[in-house]
Amino acid sequence: MSSTKRPMSPYMLGPYYRFQITSALSILNRLTGVFMSVVTAPLLLCWLIALASGEQAYAGLSTWLGSGLGKLVILASVFSFSFHLFGGIRHLIWDAGWMMDMPQVRLSGWLAIIGSVVLTLVVMGAGL
Amino acid sequence: MQNPLARVRGAGASGGGTQHWRSQRYSALVLLLLTTWMLWLGVSLAGADYATASTAMSSPTNAGMAILLAGTVFYHMHLGLQVVIEDYVHIVSVEFLLLILVRFFCLVAFLISAIAALKLVLGA
Repeated sequence: MSSTKRPMSPYMLGPYYRFQITSALSILNRLTGVFMSVVTAPLLLCWLIALASGEQAYAGLSTWLGSGLGKLVILASVFSFSFHLFGGIRHLIWDAGWMMDMPQVRLSGWLAIIGSVVLTLVVMGAGL
Repeated sequence: MQNPLARVRGAGASGGGTQHWRSQRYSALVLLLLTTWMLWLGVSLAGADYATASTAMSSPTNAGMAILLAGTVFYHMHLGLQVVIEDYVHIVSVEFLLLILVRFFCLVAFLISAIAALKLVLGA
């Protein structure tokens, strides 16, 4: 990177612009993706490794998953997955060239939020 | 899908065109299907004991789906983290190191997933 100080546009979140659902959901889609990369995917990998390693390792992981922290990690993972799923579907719809007008973009944003909360509740209610 | 001008000038400063973007979308489409299976399996195995879980994962269908899922997940994850690192890490040496580490981790994670799933299905 060049050390020359060049003018930069203000960051999309923070005090520079008023709140917009578009920028908030854009960064949330990245955050949930990064969270799943750092926490959820390694956890699933650990589950598979524990299961392949034998009964003792599996029991150890099951105990941890049943603890308070374990339950919190599962909840955060299910929400991250749900939001990234609906956020991703939203992106695929845009990629097809549909629903690109601002009212539609705001509507799909709210639908993604509602959908991800509902899916999280359904999956957690189903016993995960 | 290539503009004749692009062929003359090359792909420009990025060194690449739409390949990365398209790969991310294709893997996302595949993940729509594979994660549906994962969610179903996760809910059905929630709180399951060792015998139930290992029996489920010894089925060739579940083992195959797990390997496909791991491959697609770690590929999609690699593409996504790569973009995040390129956007936010501006120290070239750190960026370079992180990109290599992410690629290495995703590859190793996929290999371990595949070996674990094969071990469960083959009962070795």
